[in-house]
Formats: sequence, structure tokens, C-alpha cells
Amino acid sequence: MLEVIKPGLETTVQDWPGRIGYWEQGFPFSGPMDDWSFRLANLLVGNAADAAGLECQFTGPTLRFGRDAVIALTGAAMQPTLDNAPLPLWESVVVRAGQVLSLGFARIGARAYLAIAGGIETAPVLGSRATFHQAGIGGLDGYALKEGQRLPLGTGDGAGEPGRRVREECRPPLTDERVWQMEAVPGPNDDWIDEAGHRRFLESDWTVQSRSNRTGFRLDGPAWSFTAKATDKRPEHGEDPSNILDHGYPVGAVNLCGQTPIILVNDGPSTGGFINPYTVPSAAFWKLAQSRPGDVYRFRAVSVEEAQDKRRAINRLIAESSIERV
Amino acid sequence: MIFSEPVFRPGGDRFIEMELGDEMSFDLNFRVHSVSRLIREEGPAGIVEIVPELTSIMISYDFERIPYADVVAEVTALFHAVGPLDGLELDSRIFYLPIRYFDPWTRECYDDYCAKIAQKERDPELVARLNGLADLAQLARVHSGTDYWVAALGFYPGLVSLMPLDPRCRLTAPKYDPPRTWTYKGTIGIGGSLCSIYPDRTPGGYQMIARTPVPIWDPQQRLAAFAESLALFRPGDRVRFIPASAEEYEHVAAQVEAGTYLHNVAEYQRFSIGNYHRWLATIDETVRF
Repeated sequence: MLEVIKPGLETTVQDWPGRIGYWEQGFPFSGPMDDWSFRLANLLVGNAADAAGLECQFTGPTLRFGRDAVIALTGAAMQPTLDNAPLPLWESVVVRAGQVLSLGFARIGARAYLAIAGGIETAPVLGSRATFHQAGIGGLDGYALKEGQRLPLGTGDGAGEPGRRVREECRPPLTDERVWQMEAVPGPNDDWIDEAGHRRFLESDWTVQSRSNRTGFRLDGPAWSFTAKATDKRPEHGEDPSNILDHGYPVGAVNLCGQTPIILVNDGPSTGGFINPYTVPSAAFWKLAQSRPGDVYRFRAVSVEEAQDKRRAINRLIAESSIERV
Repeated sequence: MIFSEPVFRPGGDRFIEMELGDEMSFDLNFRVHSVSRLIREEGPAGIVEIVPELTSIMISYDFERIPYADVVAEVTALFHAVGPLDGLELDSRIFYLPIRYFDPWTRECYDDYCAKIAQKERDPELVARLNGLADLAQLARVHSGTDYWVAALGFYPGLVSLMPLDPRCRLTAPKYDPPRTWTYKGTIGIGGSLCSIYPDRTPGGYQMIARTPVPIWDPQQRLAAFAESLALFRPGDRVRFIPASAEEYEHVAAQVEAGTYLHNVAEYQRFSIGNYHRWLATIDETVRF
């Protein structure tokens, strides 16, 4: 059992790959936004890949352990302490029953991940423990953690091994740099944008708005311009150039809502009536997850093949070869 | 236009959008669901999920198991295997939903919008006027005079896009601009040429003409209809709206509240598009009920 002393800004139970199989009924995958860091945390404590852990956003929680456990923290640097003594990131450590783990605000990055050997064992909803708080499902009672709640833990007695650390070159390269090189695959609706519009997208700085969350990242930047496909279309597509007959949205879509691009992420809508000129591939999601309002994105167009190669490279790092002994 | 060959477009490293056409058309949507059924039943391993929509199918795939080009080739073969529309049938349950037209709750929501956001014509009056109907009684008659086809689900869990199957009952309406910040759960709205039911209290833009006490999604899975899924509908289902009095509405609402409500659904139904086309040819589409 894990007792929530302070919940943090918005801390949720997540599992990977999330809620699969109900997308066509409107349920997003949810799951950890930076699954690179999340999966490494599970690997550190010896959990199965689909074990549930916590995603802590911007300011982390304070938690008291009801039993001994081996835990690991990865992702954003939230100045973690255990009974007020600093705790290392990217390393499995032993926690004793009654000890208090405390996370502060993120000095570097935005989202930290906590894995506990044995996993968090809230009741799965539609096959997953991932929280989708917009609709109140999954996690603990459907929402982010609240003060005083108790999280059930799996039977981790004897499981997990302390002193395991992720090699530095195998972690997401987090720095305090606020400018991100972001990959984007053209499509599905790249042919709705004219050449000047594509040039502005790829050559401009895009600033992350404060209204950004696990649903979408809103960006400020220059205006978009369109081809005849957007401006001369059948009336049922809608009036605005960015309107299209309702269609499915890929996760990672750069969804153009009027003139505002919104990158749709893990809890984003499954369908809607706006075009998606680009899609941010899964290998770049750790950058979305670790960026903050005010950060700048610079996009680079990549092919489907390059995006898949980058993802393969990350997947290969979720392996024992990435672990060293402390 | 309904395409003779599907168009495939990448959505990053793990999605492919398959476009079957670019117009609002029941025939096109029926083809979408016929192809979707074949993908579910016979599609290659490595396709993770699909989202059928009005004119397209979003495909999620695992590129470690199947490359992009193979998804395209195999799904194209399934597209052609579907064959001519008139020979097709799909399982299609019919749900009967009691609804109260011109109810006090959607009126309250409208009043709140006018007070806080913008003035506009009342929704039922606007829909009746734009569609050339004599009065609100005719709006209720026309709106409830047809089966609706669940053309797509999405945006929010359980949210439905409904197409009227009887062309004499088609209604069109612009969406709220700017949109509402909230809408009552169970509100029935019309936007563009589609009808929708709000599964929960959410923002919205469709013109509100009625409300149903019957839940179409239930995260607590309290009612029997939600034993297997949190959302009531599947693509290809049909919905029939049954006008309800204030008393009938309260009766059903009380059953829902008590957890005893049984959704009224005919599970044995199939939909034959050949029969549908033959029936369409016999009616005068310009008349109204």
C-alpha cells in the first residue's frame, strides 16, 4: 500500500501501452507520455513491461510506503528525497515500510515516473490501469491522485533488486535547454497545406502554450496557408479551410484547429473535424512529455521509415544491456 | 466522390489513414463499415486497432510486426474483396431511446449560453425554420420518424455520429459559434447533417432539441447493457428515438437512477443495403412527415 500525503500537481496511475482495443468507441490509449523513461523504470525494478506505475507532472507527490519495496524514479528531475535524504534518479533503491518519498517541482523536464517492484494494482478498466481522467476511468477511482488515498501495490515481496542503474547513454537526453528539435512525419493531410505553409511550419519557432496537457499541446506560431483542397471543397466538410468531414486522429497528430496547431497526445480525442497536416512520431513523444509551456519546438520533416528506425532504436534500449551496477 | 481505389496516407510511424471517399454519403459509410468488418475478421496480424469514420478508416499498426507497404497491400485486397454494395448485409442492432423534445434542461443550457456567451435564436426554432418545417410539432415528428445509422463513434467515449436513414427526415443545422462550454448529459443535438447524443456533460456545438434519460455510456458499468463495454453503441447499430412525455421521462430516469433500467434493443436485426436501395427507389424523398 502506498499512502498519498500530497498528490502533486496531477499524478496519475499509468501503464504501457495503455488501453488498447476500445479506440473505435472513443477511448484513447492513455498511458505514460514518455514511455521511454516509464519502461526503463519498470525494467530497473524487474517488473513486467505492462506493470502500472505513476506519472508525476511538473510537481510530484509525497508518498508513504506501507511495506518495504524496491522502487525506481526516471524522467524529469523533481529533486526526490526519501525521509529528507536525496534519492538518485535512474536507479533502483530500497524503501522501507513507513518511509516517505517526496518529489518537488521539476527542475529539468516535466514528467517523472515511479515504478515499484510488484507494480500498482488498482482495478483494471477495459484491460488497463491507465488513468483517463477526462472521462473518469482507470487509475484510482478514475482521476489523478488525491490526498489521503491509498494505492494498492502488487506482491513485490523479495522482488526487485536495488543497485541497478540505467547507463547514461541509454536515457532520454534531458537538459535544461528549452528549444527542442521535433520530428514530424508529413500527413495524413499534408496536401491541404500549400508550399509556403509547409515552409513556415518547418522553418519557424513554435511556442508551447500554457493550455497544454495530456490531451494536446497547443502551439503559437505563424499563420498557415492552404491549397485548393482546403478552400474549394464540398460544403459538408465545413467552412474553415482547416475543417474536414469527421475522421480518425492519429496519436501525435498536428491537428490544425483554425490557425492553431494542437499536437494530440495520449489522452487526445480519437476523431474530429479538423485536418492533420503532420504527425509527431512515437520516438519524439518523450520530448513532448518533457517540455514545458514557453518551450520552443523546431520541426524537422522525417519519413515514415526514419520515424520507425528512431522508434526501433529506443525500443532496443529497453533491455538489460542498458543496465549497469552501481 | 466515392473512390474506386482507396487512398492511404501515413499518420506518423504507427498509423495509416485509409480514405474511401470525400463526401457525406450513407453508401460510402456503409462501405467503410463493410471494409472495417473484413479488416477485423481477416486483417493481417500486426494491425492493432481501427477507427471507422464517416468516409475513412484510421488504422493503428505495429511496424515491428508488419511494414507499412504490407498493411496497404493487404487492406487494399480486403477493400476489393467486399464487392458490390447491393449484395452486402451487416449485423445492425436497433436501440429504442425515449427522448423528451424541447425539454427544460436544454432550454436552461441555451439560456445560460445566451446570458454568458452570445445571443442566438432558440435551437428548436432555428432548426425548424432552416429546414422549412411548419412548427416544433413537425420538427419532433420529422426527427423521430426515421431509424438513425451509427456512422461513427469517437471524440469522446461513446459519442455517436448518427445519419438519418429516411431521406424525408434529413435535418441540417449550423453549429454553435463560439461553442458551448457545457451541455447536459443525454442532450440530443443536430450539427451539419448529423445527429448526436451527448454521452456526458461536455462542451458542444450541436443545436439542442431534446434530451434522453437513458445513458449511452457508463464508466461505473451500473446498468446491464454496460457489462462488456463502457459505451453502448457499436458502428453499424441503429437508433430509433421514441417521443416521451414528461411523466415517461421521469419514469425512465428513476429506473436509471435505481440501476434497474433495461436498454430496449433488438439484437436480431441485420441491415441489407440492397433492400434499402430498393425501398429508397419507391419513396418521394421531397415530402416531409
